[in-house]
Amino acid sequence: MSKDMFQPKILGFLCNWCCYAAADAAGVSRYQYPPNLRTIRVMCTGRLDPAFILKGFAEGADGIFTGG
Amino acid sequence: MGKAKDKQSGAILVVGGGVAGVQAALDLTDLGYHCYLVEKSAAIGGAMAQLDKTFPTNDCSL
Amino acid sequence: MDEYNEGLALTRPIHIDYPQAVPATYYIDPKACLYLTHGTCQICVPACRSNAIDFSQTAEERQLSVGAVIMAPGFGRIPDETLAKFSYGKHPDVVTSIEFERLLNPSGPSVGEVRCISDRRHPKRIAFIQCVGSRDLGCNNGYCSSVCCMYAIKEAMVAKEHDPDLDITIYYMDMRTQGKDFDAAQKRAVEQYGIKFVRARVADVMPWGNSLKLTYSTLAGRHGFEPFDMVVLSVGLDAPASAKELSEICGFDLNTYDFCKTSTFAPLTTSKEGVLVAGAFQGPKDIPESVTQSSATAGLAAGLLQKQRGDGYIVKDYPQEKKLGKNEEPRIGVFVCRCGINIAGVVDVPAVDASLQDMEGVIYHSESLYSCSQDAQEMIKQKIKEHNLNRIVIAACSPRTHEPLFQETLKDAGLNRCLFEMVNIRDQCSWVHANEPEEATRKSKDLVRMGVAKARLIQPLAEQTVPVTPKALVIGGGIAGMTVALNLAEQGFHTSIVEKNAELGGNLKRLKYTVTASDPAVLLQQCLEQVKNHKLIDVCTSSEIAAINGFVGNFSSVIKTTKGKKVTEQTIDHGVVVIATGGKEHRPAKVLGSEIVYSNRVVTQQELEERLAGKAKSLDFVVMLQCAGSRGDDLAYCSKICCTQAVKNALKIKEINKKSQVIVLYRDMRTYGFNEDAYRQAREQGVIFIPYSMEKKPIITSKTNKVTISFFDPILQEEVIITPDLLALSVGVVPEGTEEMSKLLKIPINENKFYLEAHVKLRPVELSVSGVYVCGLAHSPKPLDEVIVQAQAAAAKAAMPLVKGLVSVEPIVSHVNKDLCIGCGLCESLCPYQAIRIQKVDKTRIAETIVASCKACGICASHCPTFAINMGGFTNDQIIAQIEAFGKS
Repeated sequence: MSKDMFQPKILGFLCNWCCYAAADAAGVSRYQYPPNLRTIRVMCTGRLDPAFILKGFAEGADGIFTGG
Repeated sequence: MGKAKDKQSGAILVVGGGVAGVQAALDLTDLGYHCYLVEKSAAIGGAMAQLDKTFPTNDCSL
Repeated sequence: MDEYNEGLALTRPIHIDYPQAVPATYYIDPKACLYLTHGTCQICVPACRSNAIDFSQTAEERQLSVGAVIMAPGFGRIPDETLAKFSYGKHPDVVTSIEFERLLNPSGPSVGEVRCISDRRHPKRIAFIQCVGSRDLGCNNGYCSSVCCMYAIKEAMVAKEHDPDLDITIYYMDMRTQGKDFDAAQKRAVEQYGIKFVRARVADVMPWGNSLKLTYSTLAGRHGFEPFDMVVLSVGLDAPASAKELSEICGFDLNTYDFCKTSTFAPLTTSKEGVLVAGAFQGPKDIPESVTQSSATAGLAAGLLQKQRGDGYIVKDYPQEKKLGKNEEPRIGVFVCRCGINIAGVVDVPAVDASLQDMEGVIYHSESLYSCSQDAQEMIKQKIKEHNLNRIVIAACSPRTHEPLFQETLKDAGLNRCLFEMVNIRDQCSWVHANEPEEATRKSKDLVRMGVAKARLIQPLAEQTVPVTPKALVIGGGIAGMTVALNLAEQGFHTSIVEKNAELGGNLKRLKYTVTASDPAVLLQQCLEQVKNHKLIDVCTSSEIAAINGFVGNFSSVIKTTKGKKVTEQTIDHGVVVIATGGKEHRPAKVLGSEIVYSNRVVTQQELEERLAGKAKSLDFVVMLQCAGSRGDDLAYCSKICCTQAVKNALKIKEINKKSQVIVLYRDMRTYGFNEDAYRQAREQGVIFIPYSMEKKPIITSKTNKVTISFFDPILQEEVIITPDLLALSVGVVPEGTEEMSKLLKIPINENKFYLEAHVKLRPVELSVSGVYVCGLAHSPKPLDEVIVQAQAAAAKAAMPLVKGLVSVEPIVSHVNKDLCIGCGLCESLCPYQAIRIQKVDKTRIAETIVASCKACGICASHCPTFAINMGGFTNDQIIAQIEAFGKS
């Protein structure tokens, strides 16, 4: 990865039943993707309080990903 | 079979580990029975494991 | 050769078939292994670090003592010789549907890109040929395989999604999309996807330059040929290769096609006592029907072995759980897994471990080679004791696969299983960043820090259980309801049947004979007697449900009985509900645009059946009209049973007088499965089947003493007017009482007013509300044998909470802080599962979670304006702590 390029910090909220499972499956299939994402598992994206998103930005996230 | 002898085993044998066999085994366990599932290949799942999506909703099948 | 990919790809001799395989253990293909074929190599033995390869193992025979056997060996392949007439095996671009399925699949040999096998070009034109190896006495498969029309449509649609410019034609005899919502999907295939359907028989497929030439003939006798880049053969389901062997070993009979022989009234019982059958071996069928049959056999076996329930069933016990003081300091133990080289090969595991030094709350941390191994569990237990740890974090693979294992270890060590957090540094880190070790290590450190931050705040959660009233309520006393009640009673559970009519039996009372020549009256009599005599079954006739309250395990229903002018009410407590409210014959006022006057000359198939079973007078000339008021005419859907019913009645007319003339006007004859035999028989006996299309609809002029039908004959290519003695309309089935029940129980119905099951494929008899099950015609139209199977399956599913006696709840459900709740009711209105409700406690409104119904989605928690609702294991504090720890990177 080029060190000069902007490297965003991305926070992800993944639904246990679909997106988190898909992220596992991506690993099992050895798909490669950039290592900028840090994830938090939730049981459903319905769990997400908008405050979590704002908090994420306040803590320095450049982008927030929700997968559900 | 209806009139059970005292010695009769309560275990159940399921032959085949495709979607039908697996479902039968799971349900038997939920009904409180010890179950033997016999499958000839290395993994369970049978023909359904080869499918990508399923009709009519085209949902993922795995 | 990769057999999972139908031989379209190569794989190594030691492999797993696909990433999600269970067990996900590598195995050696004996056909490819050099040691097993030639006695050399064995290079794998020293290469395996866990010493898991042992060539000295041999096959062993084990004797099992069992009380019942369920046969589910599936289906077999149509032999290659049958496919050869379409150039299969001669030209690489003629493929079977299952090969095409793999080509479409992103995990398949071409990563989901459809390419010709011959030269890897993208095909522009693809043809599907239906009924290959089905409905074909040439290969001794007289039956219809019942699934090929659906998978062909699905594959064509998926192929179009890959490449919208693809030109796809499906050559068919009848489109048999008779299942629930299947016609709608076919309509989508035509209207949205532009897939072409051509009713024609394919004569042959020949190589033609670098493409293929397909020759066909239509019903009107027109011949034609078309070039295609690829031809997909929609291969049928053959009997399994092991059929004969299994039948000899077990001593049960096969039918003429080598499928398992069963009867209409006991569809899953083989000729051998104690041996049941489920799935495609019972007859070709799709996934939901297989799953339904499996559940049904489980219930039947449970009924057979009711006295032995629990025999050999293993229940584990655990040490007393250590109490955790409310303000007890967290003492966290962290184990960072190397997973052999799976993690350590990319992530600098020692560096991740070192980052835990002096982290707040972390008392102990270490690496571990395989943290899921048995010795690692012992080590974890020992460290818990040694350092008095009260929270455990494991950084390894996915909690989806391994959380239960580690939670077991915590329970063994006397810790509450919820005092556990898992950090995924394999599936979602080392495996997906294999070429970026530094970044992967940094990500692992961040994830571990976030996990520890959450772990500091996790609290023990009590295992919640709700007791179950071990009784069932069955709504509807037709064959479905009676079958449910009988099976539940066999399994030892008290069951009440509520029937709105004065007597039990429903539609079965009107059924006079079946296409398999079994007598429905015998079945009815048997059922009625068994229901009447069974001590565990109560029957309330002339009764209706006035109200149902409660939730899984604890329902309470008010039943209103009207006998003459006397109306009585009683309340029944029960743990589960099975809905079998049934359906009835539809009577459309208009058919294909023509007004209908029902009379002696214009009847429904059911009325014809009753007439034929009575003092039968021979009829000279009968016309049957299929899809009268169905499939977009009045009702939107196909009723699945009418084609077989028409064939059955046509055969009966011929049996009474073989000189009678019978014409059946149809759109697609849907005599799927073994019913195809009866259809063939009817044609052999001179019943004339003529297709009509919606573009040229037959016109009916019905008066009380005369009926005329004019239709376009596609063979003669001209308009024909006939005046039969009798017109029988195949009118379809409508559900009964589903709207009322849907309101009472808050269960969804589809646009055709049939109940909507929880999952079309995998949970076909459960409804979205826990503890409520469905079967019979209220679910969708279906023939008697399928109704019986579905009822047996519903009984099996309904028995599960009753067997357990408790509904156990994952501790991740929502809970309400009563001091903070303002009773606004927002949560109640948003919950998709009716799992939270407003209760009045001392005149104040307070929300309360119905833990047995809660699925832990957290919608209530995220919307609560006063933060009064929290989710077990996913509290606001915990998630905020994770986000804050994210910010510290």
